[in-house]
Amino acid sequence: MKDVLQKIKAEAIEALSSRDADLEAIRIKYLGKKGELTGVLRGMGQLSPEERPKIGQLANEVRSEIEELLRKKKEEYELRAFGISPDFDYTLPGDEVPSGGLHPITQMCYDLNDAFRSMGFEIFGGPEITSEYYAFDNLNFPPNHPARESMDTYWLEGHDSGSASDKLCLRPHLTGDSVRYMATHKPPYRFVYPGHVYRNETTDARHERAFFQYEALIVDKDFTFTAGKVMIKSILSKVFGRDVPVRMRAGFFPFVEPGFEIDMGCLVCGGKGCSVCKHVGWIEIMPGGTPHPNVLRAAGLDPDEYTGFYVNIGLDRLVMMRYGVDDVRLFHGTDLKFLKQFH
Amino acid sequence: MKVSLNWIKDFVRLPDDADMKKLAYDLTMSTVEVEDVEELERRYENIVVGEIKEVLPHPNADKLRICRTDVGGEVKDIVCGGSNLEPGMKVVVACPGALVRWHGEGEPVEIKNAKLRGVESFGMICAAVEIGMEDLFPATDDHEIVDLSAFDAPAGTPIAEALDLCDYILEIDNKSMTNRPDLWGHYGIAREIAALYDLPLEPIPAADVSCDTPFDVRILDEERCPRYIGSRIEGLSVKPSPFKMQTRLWRVGLRPINALVDVTNYVMLAVGQPTHAFDATHIKDHIEVRRAADGEALGLLNDKELKLSSDDLVIADAEGAVALAGVMGGAKDSVLPDTTSVILEVANFESRGVRRTALRYDNRTESSSRYEKAIDPERCDAALSMALSIFRELYPEMKITAYSDKYPTKLVKKEIDVPLEWLDRRLGMRIPKEIVERKLGTMGFEVTYTDDTMHVVVPTWRSTGDVGIKADIMEEVARMYGYENFEASEITTSFDGAINQLDRDLVRRIKEYLAFRCDMQEIFTYPWMSDEFVAALTPSTDGILALSTPPSPTEKYLRSSLLPNICRAIVKNEHSFDAFDIFEDAKVFLDRDYTNEYPHESLPKQERHLGLAFVGRPENAERLFRRAKGVVGSMPRYTHMEGYTFERVEKPYWADEVAWLNICLDGKKIGDMGLLSRKAAVGCGIKVLTAVLVELDLDSLVPFKSRTNRFERVSDFPENTFDISFLIDSDAKWADIHDAIIGKKAEGDLLREVLFVDEYKGRQIPAGKKSVTVRLVIGSDEKTLTGDEIESVASGVMRKITHKLNADVRTK
Repeated sequence: MKDVLQKIKAEAIEALSSRDADLEAIRIKYLGKKGELTGVLRGMGQLSPEERPKIGQLANEVRSEIEELLRKKKEEYELRAFGISPDFDYTLPGDEVPSGGLHPITQMCYDLNDAFRSMGFEIFGGPEITSEYYAFDNLNFPPNHPARESMDTYWLEGHDSGSASDKLCLRPHLTGDSVRYMATHKPPYRFVYPGHVYRNETTDARHERAFFQYEALIVDKDFTFTAGKVMIKSILSKVFGRDVPVRMRAGFFPFVEPGFEIDMGCLVCGGKGCSVCKHVGWIEIMPGGTPHPNVLRAAGLDPDEYTGFYVNIGLDRLVMMRYGVDDVRLFHGTDLKFLKQFH
Repeated sequence: MKVSLNWIKDFVRLPDDADMKKLAYDLTMSTVEVEDVEELERRYENIVVGEIKEVLPHPNADKLRICRTDVGGEVKDIVCGGSNLEPGMKVVVACPGALVRWHGEGEPVEIKNAKLRGVESFGMICAAVEIGMEDLFPATDDHEIVDLSAFDAPAGTPIAEALDLCDYILEIDNKSMTNRPDLWGHYGIAREIAALYDLPLEPIPAADVSCDTPFDVRILDEERCPRYIGSRIEGLSVKPSPFKMQTRLWRVGLRPINALVDVTNYVMLAVGQPTHAFDATHIKDHIEVRRAADGEALGLLNDKELKLSSDDLVIADAEGAVALAGVMGGAKDSVLPDTTSVILEVANFESRGVRRTALRYDNRTESSSRYEKAIDPERCDAALSMALSIFRELYPEMKITAYSDKYPTKLVKKEIDVPLEWLDRRLGMRIPKEIVERKLGTMGFEVTYTDDTMHVVVPTWRSTGDVGIKADIMEEVARMYGYENFEASEITTSFDGAINQLDRDLVRRIKEYLAFRCDMQEIFTYPWMSDEFVAALTPSTDGILALSTPPSPTEKYLRSSLLPNICRAIVKNEHSFDAFDIFEDAKVFLDRDYTNEYPHESLPKQERHLGLAFVGRPENAERLFRRAKGVVGSMPRYTHMEGYTFERVEKPYWADEVAWLNICLDGKKIGDMGLLSRKAAVGCGIKVLTAVLVELDLDSLVPFKSRTNRFERVSDFPENTFDISFLIDSDAKWADIHDAIIGKKAEGDLLREVLFVDEYKGRQIPAGKKSVTVRLVIGSDEKTLTGDEIESVASGVMRKITHKLNADVRTK
C-alpha cells in the first residue's frame, strides 16, 4: 500500500509538471471523492492496526503535497494572461502605423511658422502669378536688371510686353508680397510670407526651376540690423533645437540697404569645417538686410521714420542641409520612396 | 574674378606677413565673398629648374632619351621623350613627390622614382600641359618640353620662384560684386583693403598725353557713349610682353598673347577699365561711335560673324564698323601680326546697352561684363595713364601722334546729407567721427559737417548707381567698422493682440488630417503641365494660361487643375507601390476673372486647390471610391470647418460615368470627385493601377472660429445592435435604403441609427440582385431594453425592408 501511495504521488507530480496541466481534473483524479487517494484511504480497513497510522500519516502527507503543488500551480496560472500561447513570438514586428506625411519642405515651413509666430509674426501669402510691377518695379530693381529678362523669369504668353502693370510672370521671388502686405495693413509690421517661386534656369543637383522661399519682414520705427541678427539667431536655434551661431557679412540685393549675407554655423561639423560647408565652418543660408527706402516708399511709408529687417530663407537649401539631401530636384520629383523618409 | 595678392601690393603696402586667412575673412565680412585663397607655389612643390648636361640614347626605346640633368647640386638621370632636348637647355623637372597631370589629362598624380623601359629615372622633365602652363609656354608639338633657357634661375631653383609664381590668388565670387563696378580690377580691391586696415593707397600716376594733333573722334550717340579717348600711338611692334606681365595675366586666368594686346588686358585687370587697340593703318580717316545700321555686318575677333541691330553701338571708321562697342573688337582691324601703330581706345559705354548687345549675340566678355556694371567715365584717365606708361617702358621710341578726349557731359558726383542723429539711431551706436571720416576718406568719399549733419561727396567710381542715398553711407560706415563689432541689440516690439489666422490654420489642419489621420503623402509638383496630361484630363485648353518661354515645348500650359500633375505622380510611382494615396496643396491659374486686388496690377484668377488621389488595383476601385468619400466626407468634422455635401451636378470630364460626385457648399460646387475613366487613364499613361481623384477649392472652405464639437450626454442604458441582411435589386441606392428604414425620426425612437455594414454581389446571389447588410442601433434613454422590445424594433425594420424596399430578408 505504501508503494501504491508513492506511485500516486509520482503520477500526480508528473501530471502537474506539464505547463498547461488541467488542475481541476488532476484534483478530481487524485483527491476527489472518487479519487485515487480517497480509494486508498477507503482500503485502510484491511490494514493491521500497527500499519494503519503509518499509512494514514503517509496518505495525509501525499495529499498535502499534491494540494500544495496544485496551489502553486494555480498561482502560477494566475500570473499568466488570457489569450497568449507559450510559444508567442515577441520578436515579431509590430503592426505598421499609417505612414502618410507632409512634404519635408512643408515640415520645415511649419517649423519656421511656429518659431516666427511665437515671436508675434503673421503669415501672409500673395499670388503666384504677379505683374512685373510687384515682381521688380517697386522692389528697386533697375529697369534693365538681368533678373527681368526672360532667361531668368517665366513670362506669360500674351502678357509679356507692355507696361510693368501689363506684364505677367510666375513670381521669381516673394519680395513683391511684402509690398502687397504693407499696402493693405498698418505699421508696425511683423510678418512672414512663404511660398513657391519660379526661375527659368537649367536644372541640376543644385538648381531648380521651382523652389520654396520663406521671407520675413519686420518694419518698425526703430529696428537696428543687430536686432535682426538676434532675431535670426533665436529663430534658427528654435527650429534646429540647439544654439546656432549666426554671422552677417556684406551682401547686395536691390531691395535692401544695407544688405547682408547671413551665414549659420555648419550643423554637420559644428563649425570645424567639413565637406558640407566647404571647410569654412559657415553655410550661407539667407540674404537679408534693412528694407531699401524705395521699397518702404512703394508701401507708402516714410523711410526716415520707418526701418526694419528682412530675410529671405531658401527652404529647399535649408532642408537639404538639415538632412544632407544632395539633389534639389528630389523635392518636386514626386517620388514617394524619397518623400516617405521625412516625418 | 581672380585677384593676385602681389598685384594688390602694387597699390597698397600690405605687411609681408599679412595673414591670408584673415584677409580673406575680413574681405568676405566687409566687401566681397572670397571663395578660395590659393597659395600658388603649393601647386609646384618639388618642381625645380633643371639643366640638361648630356642627352644619351635610351637602350630600349627609340623615342626616349636619358638626360643627365643638374637638379641643383646633383646630376640625375631622367628618362624623357621630349622632341626638343638639347644639352645646356634649362627645363622643368618634377622631382619625386611633385604633382603633375600626365599629358595634361586626368587628375594630378604624384611623381615617384620609376624604371622606364628598364632604365631608372629620377622624376620627370615636364611639358607645359603637365604643369598646367600651356598658356604661358605654348608648345608647337605634342612632345615639346618647356624650355627655360632664357631664365636666369640656376638649376635647383624652385619653379615657383624662377617663374615669379610666389603669390596668393584670391577667388572672388562675381555674384557678390555685381553692384560694385569699382571692384572689377585690382585697384578697387586694393582700395577696400586700404580702408579695412587703414593703410595708404598708392595713386596711379598721371601720364603725359600732350599732343598737338587732334584725333578725329565723333560720338554720335552721347547717351550710349559718354566718353571716348582715342590716341594714335606709333613706334610699336608685335612682340611678346615681358614675362613678368605674362605671368601676372596668367596667374589671374588670362592667356598672354602679345605685348600690344597684353597691355590692354593688363590695364583692364589693374583698374577695371576695358581698353582696346586698333591697327592704326586700318582705321580710315576718323573714329565714330554710332548705332549700327540694321543688318550691318561685323566679324569679331572670336570669328563670329554678326548681322547687327540698330540697338547695337559700334565703333566705326569712315568705311564701316570696326568693333562692337564695349563687347569685342573686329577681327580685321584690331592688332595684327604686323601692327606697328595703334589707335588706343579708352572709352566709356552705357551699361544697359552693352549688356543688351552682349546677350543678343551670346557674346559676354571680360569687357562687357565690366561695362554692364556701370563704370564711371572718369576712370578712363587712370587706364590711359597706366597704358601709356607701360607702352613707354616697352617701346622707348613710341610717340603719340594724335589724341582726342571727347567727354561732353561730365559725371556729376553724388552728394548726400546724413544727419548724425539718424546715423546713430540706425546703427544702434555712435561710431567716433574720426573713424567714420578715415574709413570714408580712404574709400574716396569727401566728408564735411554742418551742425549735426554730415555732407558726403561720393567718389565718381561709386556715383554710377551704387551709392546714392544716406542708407548707402550708413552701410559703408557699418561694414568698414565691422559688422561683428556691433553689440547685439534687443528686439523691442509692441504687443498688438494674438495672431488669429483662421484660414491658414484650417489649411494646416487639413494637411495634417490627410497626412496623419488618413495616411496620405503630400507631394509638390511644377506649376506647368505636360501636354499629354492636359489632353487626357481637360476638355480643351481654352482659358488655360501659358508660358512664353516654357521649360520644354510640351510643358507650356500653367495648371488650371492639380489633377494632371497628380496623375503624372501616379505614373511615376505605380510601379513601386500597389496602392498609395497622395495629395497636393497648390495654386491653379485661369485666364479669366482678372481682379485688381492690389494697386497697379490686374491678375488672372488664382485659386488655392487641394488635389487628392487614392490609387490602387482596379479590382479595388469601389473600395477606393468609398475610401476617398470617407476621407473627404469626414474632413469638415475633424478639421473644424463648415460641412459640405456630396451632390450630382455635373460629371467631371475625366471621371467614370457612374463613380463620381460633386462637392457642394451652400449650393455652390466647390469640388469634384471621381474614378478615373479608362480613356483618361490611358491618356495619362497610367498602366497598372487606377485612381479616384478629388479636387477641392481650398479658398471656398469656411473655418469655424474656434474648435467646434457637440456634447451629448451618454445614455446610462446599453445600446444594442442588430444586423439584418437582405437581397435587393443590384441598382438600389444606399441613400434610399437608409431613408426608407429610418423614416422620419422622432423624439424617443428606439431605432437610433441605421449603419451600412456590407454589400455583396456574386456567387450565391441571383443575377440582378445584391445582398446588403445593415446594422440597427437600438436603445433608450430611459431603460434597458428587453429582448422582446429589441426584437420588435427589428421586426418593424424587416417589414419596412420587405414592403417599402421590396427586398427579401435573408438572415437576422
